[in-house]
Amino acid sequence: MLTKSVRYLRILVMVVVLGMVVAACGGQSGSDTTSAPDAPAETEAPGEEEPSGGGEAQVVDLTFWTFVQAHADFIESQAADYNASQSDVEIRIESTSIDWDDMHNRLLIALQSGTGAPDLVDVEISRFGPFSRGEVQLHPLTDIVERNSENLVSERLAPYMVDGVPYGIDYHLGAFLMYYNTEITDAAGVDIDAIETWDDYIEAGLKVKEEVGVPMTTIETSGGFSLNGLMLLNGGGRYDASNNRILEDPANIEAAEFIQDLIFEQEIAVAAPGTHHHAVEFFESFNAGGSASLWMPQWYMIRFPENMPDVEGKIKVRPLPAFEPGGAVTTMGGGTGTAITRQIDPDKVEAAMDFLEFAKLTYDAQVKLWTVLGFDPFWLEVYDDPALQEPDPWFGNEPVMASIKDMLDRLIPEYTGPHYAEISARMGDVMAFDLFVDQKPAAEVFAEAEAEIAGME
Amino acid sequence: MLRAPKSPRLLGGEGGVGQERRPGTPFLQRPGVVATVFLAPFLVLFFVFRVWPIISAVSISFQDIQSIGQGEFIGLGNYQSLLDDERFSAALRNTAMYTGGTLLLLVPIPLMLAALLHSGSVKAPGAFRTILFLPLLAGLVVVGVVFQLILSQNGVMNAGLGLFGLPSLAWLEVPELALPSLLIVAVWRWTGINIVYFSTGLATIPNDLYEAAVIDGASGFRRFLHISLPLTKPIILFVSVLTLIGGFQLFVEPFILWAQQGGVGPNRAGMSIVVLLYRTAFTNFQLGLASAIGVVLALIIMVTAIIQLRAFGFFSRDETGSGRRRRSR
Repeated sequence: MLTKSVRYLRILVMVVVLGMVVAACGGQSGSDTTSAPDAPAETEAPGEEEPSGGGEAQVVDLTFWTFVQAHADFIESQAADYNASQSDVEIRIESTSIDWDDMHNRLLIALQSGTGAPDLVDVEISRFGPFSRGEVQLHPLTDIVERNSENLVSERLAPYMVDGVPYGIDYHLGAFLMYYNTEITDAAGVDIDAIETWDDYIEAGLKVKEEVGVPMTTIETSGGFSLNGLMLLNGGGRYDASNNRILEDPANIEAAEFIQDLIFEQEIAVAAPGTHHHAVEFFESFNAGGSASLWMPQWYMIRFPENMPDVEGKIKVRPLPAFEPGGAVTTMGGGTGTAITRQIDPDKVEAAMDFLEFAKLTYDAQVKLWTVLGFDPFWLEVYDDPALQEPDPWFGNEPVMASIKDMLDRLIPEYTGPHYAEISARMGDVMAFDLFVDQKPAAEVFAEAEAEIAGME
Repeated sequence: MLRAPKSPRLLGGEGGVGQERRPGTPFLQRPGVVATVFLAPFLVLFFVFRVWPIISAVSISFQDIQSIGQGEFIGLGNYQSLLDDERFSAALRNTAMYTGGTLLLLVPIPLMLAALLHSGSVKAPGAFRTILFLPLLAGLVVVGVVFQLILSQNGVMNAGLGLFGLPSLAWLEVPELALPSLLIVAVWRWTGINIVYFSTGLATIPNDLYEAAVIDGASGFRRFLHISLPLTKPIILFVSVLTLIGGFQLFVEPFILWAQQGGVGPNRAGMSIVVLLYRTAFTNFQLGLASAIGVVLALIIMVTAIIQLRAFGFFSRDETGSGRRRRSR
């Protein structure tokens, strides 16, 4: 028979074990409750002095979330260069690359719950909207932007601005370009350098269709790049410079009708195989010479060697045709802004800002955007750097970046606003299909979109 | 002969929970206290991870939350906006059609296949059953990616159609084929497990009944219709309810099949309620509206399941012993 004390002891052990189980389940409350598995814990207090090299450097640990491993590698590499460039501060980046959707979801939850967000984070342009609503949970980057404003293509800062305050620094300009497969255009007797306006483009397209028997271009029917590119080029877009929604702007409707005409009237454009320009079906088709050209942002260049190897050397990059002689020949598409969250330790803000400026807003950093990441910089002088003047054998042995420089004075910026993400979704989900497959009247499609977005407010 | 246990503490007899305790029992040895301590881990976890989120979701569904850290009580505003929301009606329609489709395919086909296996007319039924069960072992994400390739323009499905001289179909690109694509995935994945359920039910039917029916000259079809079918009614009910709930919770398949479009499919033809909920919560960050969608979805599943249970006579007396009322008396 058990004695009373043994019974008490057993019950006590049971209660302790129970307490430990409960504590283990909820024990993360002090750290990262957003279950970011790779987010490292702070290992030392900010400002802690630690020997670095020959002198005493202030060690600053910064956590960084991104959804592109190449971005993580770039930022880490820039941190190494930053540390080598001075001896006052040693930046240590703990980067975590998470799936695109998952990363933005975790960031939202972390900011909403007030804990668990990284110090630095990449926010993709189409997911920036929710972060810009209400009290912005990102640090204003006004100081570092203003210090460099005269060198920057200011339009590139627009997507990450709320009420004129910048909150993100992009990785590229994202200039829209026309990619021509010169094997096809040459076979059709088309001189791509003679294409200056969309009328010229249509004429060339008719020639290609007649001589070679392939469409001049393809249009995304489940994505927004084909539509949004021309909406912006025509002076429209989703938001204006004051962050006001302008979906029903006549410029947008005209642009959509213009694309409809390319498909249904001139019949020189078709729906992109696989419905968008990142589909395997599209890559296979373009790789096999299924169409003569397409318009996508500059960062799409890196898709060619990866996915369409057979067109190596045949692709030449040119500005978009203008709607009117002398009109705009490019605009911006896509983007990812690096931001500093408000959950960063206040003691680290200055160092983080300084590092971000070094990593993105210096001449050398902008050169690396091209040489390391393959993206078009948004720093004007950089385009004269020898590294950007080198011909690219993959793209007709031409200096692609030099061509982009010539377009910069005819560049239309893109502005964002609180419901940019929802409009992006609507464009890809419904609008592109309605317009370019079902041939619905453009005014009706934009009115329906506006009604849906307005209903969310 | 069994004897009644002497220790009331063990079986909750005299002195059990809610009953008069023996005078003088120390507090920590009282059956009620011990039971509470043992149940506490489950209850705490259940409350924290199940009950509290449900209460929170209902509470949030009455608020307008569209920016971080801010919310405003708007009563039934989110529910009202759902009534006019074209996306919600599209998602509801898609999900209802998918659920209806799975009920039509995933109950009769596995039942008939299970009956076929049970009849003994199939050689190596175990191997057959295993092969049909294997798809369940594959992760849903893997299944989605594989079917994305199978259903692509140059995929295996179109190659198969080509063998019969049929034209290729843009399975994942046209709205009309979005639902059939989802159903193809569902049938491939869930048929096997439903066969296992039905096989279990069929195995409990006494063989005497079939032998008597054979002596009476009943054909295989009549034996299935008059013996197998009525006596597997509880299993049919079980599978139907599972299929119904699974259908309304559709998420991963469209999310992977149309990954580039955020899981909505061509012209939103593949958008399920849960996909809409997910996008509303995270892409749009409208937490109040998303919670309202969740609450409505829960109500829809609950009401539909009750209707289904009632239609199958679950709440009434029957001869098969599946009636709850009868068993509880």
